[in-house]
Amino acid sequence: MNRLKGQIVAIDSNSHLSLVDVAVGDDVFTATLLETPETADYLKIGSKVTLLFKETEVALAKNLSGLISLRNRIVVTIRSIERGDILSAVRLDYVGNALTSVITARAVDRLQLAVGDQVEALIKANEIALMAGHHDD
Amino acid sequence: MIHASISKHLHGANGDFQLEASLNIAEGEFVALFGASGVGKTTLLRCIAGLEQPEQGSIVVRGETWLDSAARLNLPPQQRRVGYMFQDYALFPNMTVRGNLEFALRKGTDQKRINELLELMALGELQHRKPDSLSGGQKQRVALARALASEPRLLLLDEPFSALDAEMRSRLHDEILRLQKHFGITTVIVSHDVSEVCKLTSRVMMMEAGRIVQQGRPVEVFSAGQTSGKFRFTGEILAIESMDVMFSLTVLVGNQIVRVVAMPDEAAKLHVGERVMLVSKAFNPMVLKLEQ
Repeated sequence: MNRLKGQIVAIDSNSHLSLVDVAVGDDVFTATLLETPETADYLKIGSKVTLLFKETEVALAKNLSGLISLRNRIVVTIRSIERGDILSAVRLDYVGNALTSVITARAVDRLQLAVGDQVEALIKANEIALMAGHHDD
Repeated sequence: MIHASISKHLHGANGDFQLEASLNIAEGEFVALFGASGVGKTTLLRCIAGLEQPEQGSIVVRGETWLDSAARLNLPPQQRRVGYMFQDYALFPNMTVRGNLEFALRKGTDQKRINELLELMALGELQHRKPDSLSGGQKQRVALARALASEPRLLLLDEPFSALDAEMRSRLHDEILRLQKHFGITTVIVSHDVSEVCKLTSRVMMMEAGRIVQQGRPVEVFSAGQTSGKFRFTGEILAIESMDVMFSLTVLVGNQIVRVVAMPDEAAKLHVGERVMLVSKAFNPMVLKLEQ
């Protein structure tokens, strides 16, 4: 599971849903939650939270242009690539944080990914879960 | 309106404690008493039915006093207009289905009530059978019909479906909801099944060591303190297998076996037999309606 520590900087909610902006370093991540400040105590501006998202939910892009609905785009550097028959685990460095993206081996070939490449990692807002507090494990 | 206030000394597995509960139930309301074994749920129900005597207490049902310990008033069970249903059917084995219902009928009540119940619960074809020849689900439907035969003011259900399989339980839940609405009867169910309580009742009273410690709308009471927008299940790991760059975990959740994928570092920290929590965002699960 990928984990990033951050702090809530904005919350937009209606009766059931919330769009929560979380600052991690200089970036702001957005998570869509089926929770509101009324149902979840930790949803407060300034709260420390840990962002959680599965490796298989991290897409990678090179030279991406045009408009995209996806909210979370971060610049990362490829540290290593572990190739499997079908899937590959691409280890990434994101301003000192280790992240992993699991994509198909085909995609690794198609994007011609190599160690040291700077690429964009993309995570859909509804794939990010928040946990109250800062947790390493 | 039903008001009951019960005080009784109980001998529990972990020592003695005092049952000290007070409830107010609106006419036609369907409420649940929820809690671990031995917290006094059944005793409370039995006190209301008159099957056990509290040291102190009062019970007033629709303005009629069933119990007032201060005034030494204590109606016997047969005068309390209560329908009571237990987990273990408790049908008379030597009587037919119809006979069991007739036995429960109050004196002077029209046989029409029996016919109505047999029809409502689709028991017509079974009416001349003896309990021995019925399935568990059928016996429980007869027990429910019998509990309703006496035109009770109050229906008390003590874990009535816990011996049945999930499918039969779900069907009986639908049945009981229908009957409860049809007769508009005030109902109290003792249960420790969260889904049952959420499905059937509009209010749950949580009991701990003889006291009602919390009450409210079931979904709200049960989800308090948990992150509500997450989808989570606890399960037991049955197998951990390497799969390309990831691992496959086979997990027993309830009585279903599911497979999920995990990263090698996560799998390395787990072993077969260990309990884990599977968490997903509420957005991920796709919902498929089951065939009826």
